Amino acid sequence: MRTFDTVVIGGGPAGLAAATAAHENGAKTLLVEREARLGGILKQCIHDGFGLVRFQEKLSGPEYAERFIDAFHAAGIPAMTLTFVTRIVPAHNGGFHVTLVSRDGVETVETKTLVLSTGCRERTAKQVSIHGTRPSGVFTAGTAQHLTNLLGELPTRKCVILGSGDIGLIMARRLTLEGAKVLGVYEAKPTPSGLTRNIHQCLHDYDIPLYLSHTVTRVFGDDRLTAVEIAEVDDKMQPLPGTEQIVECDALILSVGLIPENELAESLGVEIDPKTKGPLCNGQLMTSVDGVFSCGNALHVNDLVDYVSESGECAGKNAALYAGKKRREIPINASKMLSYIVPQRLDLDADNRETVLYFRSRDIQNGCTLKMLVNGEAVFTKKYPFLRPPEMERLTIDFSKYPLDAASKVEFDIEVKAK
Amino acid sequence: MSLVRINKKLHARYGGAVRAVLHDGCIVVQGHLHKWEDVVEACQTAATKYSTTHVVNDIVCDEAKEKPMRLPSLRDKVLDGRKPDVLVIGGGISGVSIARELSKWKLDILLVDKEPDLALQASGRNDGEVHPGIDLSKGSLKHHYIRKGNEMYTQVCKELDVPFQRVGQYVCFNKGYLKPLVALYCLWRKKHDGISDTKLISGEELHRAEPNFGAEFKFAISNPSSGCVCPYGLTIAYAENAVQNGAEVALNTAVVSMQVENGEIQSVETNRGTVYPKLVINAAGVFAEDIAKMANDRFFSIHPRRGTNSILDKKAGAFMHSIASIKEITRSKTHSKGGGILHTVHDNLLVGPDAVETYEKENVATRRESIEHVFAKQKKTMPRLSERDIITYFTGVRAPTFEEDFIIEHGRKTKNLIHCAGIQSPGLTTAPAVAIDIAKMAVEMLEKEKAVEPNADFSPIRHGVPVLREMSDEQRAEMIRKNPDYGIMVCRCEEVSKGEILDALRSPICVPTVDGVKKRVRPGMGRCQGGFCSPPVMQIIAEFLGVPLSEVKKSSAESAITFGRTK
Amino acid sequence: MTQLICIVCPRGCTMHIEEKDGAYSVTGNACKRGERFAVSEMTAPMRTICSTVRTAFPEAPVLPVRVSADIPKDRIFDVMQEINHVVVNTRVRRGDAVIQNVLGLGVDVIATSDMLYTSEGR
Repeated sequence: MRTFDTVVIGGGPAGLAAATAAHENGAKTLLVEREARLGGILKQCIHDGFGLVRFQEKLSGPEYAERFIDAFHAAGIPAMTLTFVTRIVPAHNGGFHVTLVSRDGVETVETKTLVLSTGCRERTAKQVSIHGTRPSGVFTAGTAQHLTNLLGELPTRKCVILGSGDIGLIMARRLTLEGAKVLGVYEAKPTPSGLTRNIHQCLHDYDIPLYLSHTVTRVFGDDRLTAVEIAEVDDKMQPLPGTEQIVECDALILSVGLIPENELAESLGVEIDPKTKGPLCNGQLMTSVDGVFSCGNALHVNDLVDYVSESGECAGKNAALYAGKKRREIPINASKMLSYIVPQRLDLDADNRETVLYFRSRDIQNGCTLKMLVNGEAVFTKKYPFLRPPEMERLTIDFSKYPLDAASKVEFDIEVKAK
Repeated sequence: MSLVRINKKLHARYGGAVRAVLHDGCIVVQGHLHKWEDVVEACQTAATKYSTTHVVNDIVCDEAKEKPMRLPSLRDKVLDGRKPDVLVIGGGISGVSIARELSKWKLDILLVDKEPDLALQASGRNDGEVHPGIDLSKGSLKHHYIRKGNEMYTQVCKELDVPFQRVGQYVCFNKGYLKPLVALYCLWRKKHDGISDTKLISGEELHRAEPNFGAEFKFAISNPSSGCVCPYGLTIAYAENAVQNGAEVALNTAVVSMQVENGEIQSVETNRGTVYPKLVINAAGVFAEDIAKMANDRFFSIHPRRGTNSILDKKAGAFMHSIASIKEITRSKTHSKGGGILHTVHDNLLVGPDAVETYEKENVATRRESIEHVFAKQKKTMPRLSERDIITYFTGVRAPTFEEDFIIEHGRKTKNLIHCAGIQSPGLTTAPAVAIDIAKMAVEMLEKEKAVEPNADFSPIRHGVPVLREMSDEQRAEMIRKNPDYGIMVCRCEEVSKGEILDALRSPICVPTVDGVKKRVRPGMGRCQGGFCSPPVMQIIAEFLGVPLSEVKKSSAESAITFGRTK
Repeated sequence: MTQLICIVCPRGCTMHIEEKDGAYSVTGNACKRGERFAVSEMTAPMRTICSTVRTAFPEAPVLPVRVSADIPKDRIFDVMQEINHVVVNTRVRRGDAVIQNVLGLGVDVIATSDMLYTSEGR
């Protein structure tokens, strides 16, 4: 049986960064990728805007990915592509047996640590309670993007987009450039889900209307989609009877949210955070199962790939350095003002407690302060001119600066100035 | 019930708007009503449950402006002039099982279905339960066939290589005081129907077997012989076995009219030419009445009843391992059937169906209310049940008669015709047994003209596409060594390889569409619903057919997925 | 005064621009790039476009491309027309121009992936 120090599952931006970091920190590393080419979803994200934080450049998805792929190959790290993980089981020595299926057959490898960089999947029409017939022409934005950008096929001539997530906005522009008519982007929430700049450069630049507090309730068409029913929604996002209108189109494209893919993690008994749908991790991005690390969009849905790479590096490095030391963890709590914070735990015995935290505000806030409370007392504050849920925030805190013990209660809260 | 009494009742309810007359041995209900639900109620008033004197609905209904039967766009002459011994109309479970039983004989069998695949109507849109037959009354055809059908499943599914599991069914009761009554009922059933495995179990036993069932259940009827099967998988398997044994299946082929002379069908007009069958078998589901009418043999009516099922993520599949239904004493009129929760052979949960009367035979659009209704009810069985676990839902339309029983008999006026009509629940369970009888009826009829020889080459064994995810690592490695395509994973949710997809395309009834492949080997059936795998599946189909990607369809010829190259 | 959302980076600052005698004063921006963007939006708005070009290679029917520098916003669809006419039949590399000096705008249309080069087997 081949043995490794670290096996990284998923060769997208998180996995590439993790594998490279693990290798640089001395681990004998293997990267496993399901598809034929490395790069993950970035292969089809041909638009620009990647790498602004990391490289101060406006790169396209493939350019960003290939910088990491080049570095990965230059380091001589082995990668198995077109290879699928069917099973991971704990080994007797504390490591893991990973069973891989590829054209070469079935192979089980042993590894001391695992990095799960399995990305996320898109929510589907049925998960947002769209009813009616089952015609062709209902696509998630990612599927429409795959067809358009990788296969060079036009999935629609005249469409409606549901959801103002970034992929939906990007696809609105992309399809318009390729000659399709985007009748409108409909969003059930009263505020857009995607980045403000994408509302402007993808919709406003191309005169594509955005309808907030609207949703698609039904689709029509026995063969190809012929129309959709759109309704206004109330503040609980439930359709308001009597507001229905029929919009004729040939496709419905959905950008209604992403769900971290953690089926492998769950098979190992990794504890999942109901808020992020990703594993509960500590500052080293180790999950509740010793030796299993998580990063990228499998950990939580990121807004920028730059942070995906960063979390990959963190997970890969710590997987390489993992020595089986016992941990002593306390929760890092998020108040109701935050939709989540990652990591969710702090290992008091970690060698390095300088921790990168990622969080999202639950609501839009202007002029507010993020506070770190220890036992109810603010020990750290940071002012923000505004916080918006679509935009993830990043900050670094060196927890070793604060006197913390197993009984300490750490919470992050957002204080809003009284009007 | 006498005609006089029927008319008295109808008069009391609808004034002079409808009346019943006896015509050709049928109770024909005539008149004019505005609402379809009134039409159904009027005909139900005139009907006697399980009677062979059928109600024929001739009421003009303002509301029911039904679209004509959807026809395939295909027009050719491929079948023109064909003279099969038997023409089976309908590629649902009834039609294909009959074709397969008939293929045990040296006969020229042609099965037609207007849809682009088999099992696209009720047979592919039900819950897949193989019923125990405990709640059926003696004297009905349903009752006559249910035990035999249920018992045949083990062997049939083994022969046809279709997954089937006798997971058992629990009918749960929350009113403890009913226990003695239900106990008596079970005893009576055992005595009369020879259902030996049915037993009454305590709430404690129930919760030990199914810990997630509602705590308020006091006792349950346990039916270990109940099982679940993949209903479209079985339909496809039956059809493939029929084809292997010489039958022909023509999809996208609709019967549009018939020429009947001297009480005999002379010819059958299809969109693919005129066929001259010796014998016609009507297994046309919701269109069975229309076919009967074409054949000059309309003596029953179908009142379509739609039902919606939800499929839940495999993670929810772990919540329970059997089939559950609740018995409520009160019955609502609109949603007469209760539905239940079922752990499928693919380890999902299936929740439903409801039952709603409709005049639209082909409207399989889902509705929000159906899901809400079903979940509200089934959460009583299992409080953990959550709409959040839904990965998809679908609606099917049942084809009951007003007598709510099957019609399995020769044409009453037309000689060379056999009806297999009014097939509704438990029609999936009874199909293997019914098919044997209908094949026998057909052979007896054909033998009047000339002797029918057994098909010496008949093989009951059909091999499905190998399922690699169920194999041991060693078996899987061996398969991949022979064919590396088995090592290329296309669908991550259901673990389907390129090799399995190509096998499906090379199977005896090739349906080279995204849905056709999905029905056979499951890419796209999982939690991402084809989000990741539909483009590669399209590529594999395009490559297999040697066509551009825009020629790959979802299902019908009109269901294009892409509109050609972006540039 | 004009209000504008900056699209230079994901921060998306809301900026206010005041014009006085042909000179612009910008507020609300967090960095210099925002100011440059605001002035350019008022005078000659520029945009990047990304798309694909057809290739002659069946394993990669399209190749991702972008313009090497921003182009005038009102020329987007003219440049798309040019992009739509290209068929790449050599295994170009990332950064190679597939159209040089497109429409005389002084920018190239460049490949943004090595996929054609690597798929041949490196």
